[in-house]
Amino acid sequence: MSQQREARRAATILVSPAVLVLLALNVFPIGFAVFISLRHWSLSSPRPPRFAGLFNYEELGLDDRFINSLFVSATFIFLAVAIELLLGFLLAFVFNSKLRGLDTLRKLSLLPVMTMPLVVGLVWFYMLNENFGVINWFVTLFGSDRLPFLTDRTLAMLSIVLADVWQWTPFVTLVIFAALQSLPEYVFEAGRMDGLTEREIFWRITLPLLRPAIIVVLIIRAIDAFRMIELVFMMTKGGPGGNTEVLPWYIYTTGFLSLDLGYAASMAVVMIVIVTLAAQIFVRQIANPERNR
Amino acid sequence: MTGTAALPAGPARIPGPGTSLRLGDYARYLTASIFVGFCLFPFYMVLSTSVKSESDIFSWPPAWVFELTFDNFYAALFVFGGTGVLPFLINSLIITALSTLLAVGLGSMAAYGLTRFRVVGGNHIFFFILSTRFAPPVAFVVPIYLMARETQLLDTHLALILIYTSMNLSLVVWIIRGFFEAIPVEIEEAAQVDGYTRLQIFRKVAIPLVKPGLITTSILSAIMSWNEFLIATVITQNTASTLPVYLAGFSGSMGLEWGPYMAVGAMAVLPIMIFTLVLQRHLIRGLTFGAVR
Repeated sequence: MSQQREARRAATILVSPAVLVLLALNVFPIGFAVFISLRHWSLSSPRPPRFAGLFNYEELGLDDRFINSLFVSATFIFLAVAIELLLGFLLAFVFNSKLRGLDTLRKLSLLPVMTMPLVVGLVWFYMLNENFGVINWFVTLFGSDRLPFLTDRTLAMLSIVLADVWQWTPFVTLVIFAALQSLPEYVFEAGRMDGLTEREIFWRITLPLLRPAIIVVLIIRAIDAFRMIELVFMMTKGGPGGNTEVLPWYIYTTGFLSLDLGYAASMAVVMIVIVTLAAQIFVRQIANPERNR
Repeated sequence: MTGTAALPAGPARIPGPGTSLRLGDYARYLTASIFVGFCLFPFYMVLSTSVKSESDIFSWPPAWVFELTFDNFYAALFVFGGTGVLPFLINSLIITALSTLLAVGLGSMAAYGLTRFRVVGGNHIFFFILSTRFAPPVAFVVPIYLMARETQLLDTHLALILIYTSMNLSLVVWIIRGFFEAIPVEIEEAAQVDGYTRLQIFRKVAIPLVKPGLITTSILSAIMSWNEFLIATVITQNTASTLPVYLAGFSGSMGLEWGPYMAVGAMAVLPIMIFTLVLQRHLIRGLTFGAVR
């Protein structure tokens, strides 16, 4: 009996500090964000915050900039994640062939993943500069004029996508590569013995077995692309004409340049709801014991 | 995922009975090399620009051959922006080290408590901790800013240390959990017979056995803290500002001092590059929370 009590005491001592930290800095802020979003709460006004009901949320529906930022975020996520998955998938198969030296190349390709995002934005901003940027030098090699990568409406979005693709394609590659490596050889043997062609083996065996890894990496990438703000901060500041104004950038400028905390909080709440829904898919994927095959 | 029919290697893994390289192998080497070149090129640009003189930086066509100068590093360390980067570098080191220590400490305690004790709702706690991984920082800056202001913690190291601890806990708990689960229960039972209390078993038996996990999570947490920008820029002014905040401070006045700017970038990136190469074996498991090993 006393042993049981000791165990319970030990478990409490071990688990509660982490849970308390998360309650204070993760759960409480969500509730507090809701609280703020229900108020007129501006740092620039001398008046104290006052209750506003759903005012901020009603504003959201009428705010073209907010609608635009959702659209821009969706465009960015779609383009970046689609390209990263496609490229990463292809490259995983390249690295999976047993050729000497590929191991070293694969390890080197991982470097962008852990790089400070702000520096990623900095170096791509530098390389894409219209006047002296090295990318434009490559462009002129192909006989084209220099391109206004960061000031053209379409090119600006593609530039940010490019920087994100640079940073995260290696991550997708490595995840799918790791999943490929973990597939047992005998399923392919069995497929061949059943007389499947290599193409059939790919579609009927390899791809279905890779599905869990693809889902995991897709969701991680989509949610992380949604929170991306550093590239916009360094490269475009949301411009030109709001064409790269992703939701995080709009929240940040509303809160800390326009100082309208109440309105920023209402957008933050919307963002948290969207992310929570997406994260559920991931959690379910991990929680499901049948997840791997 | 269309377009995959054209994969260079239909079969996932050919044992490669032939010894001579075939055309397809050259194609794979070429693809992998181009990809790695793409991954490494921006690093080359950061590093080379940081040791170029001003006239070489702005030259057109870009100066591929240039004279080395370390003036930029001198300027970045002691002159640039009035104080140089040094105080910010120190802040980054302090905050990274302490938040990592806290996250790994509290996280491994929680992971052990949840794997080795029957905690009420233990599984729910696990998944609650996992779900905090997806919290988008930008959705939390408004409440976090006000919380820091109310507790007089604006522009203090402590605030950033606590916030980064909470941001890294999910990572630590989920990776270390896998390591604890791999320890045979018999080892701990034997220690219990020897008269160890449960907490002593944790400290003296379990922790030494998961050292590789502690190292992996420490490095990953440290990189996350080192790279974080948004929260730092919102809640610090000067005293506790970290390297990325310093770096971002110049984005308004850009187009001028690319040399020192890239030197700061190089300082932000170089230590992480080394860690990434050391860590790469564990990276995937860490970044996907064990969903892909």
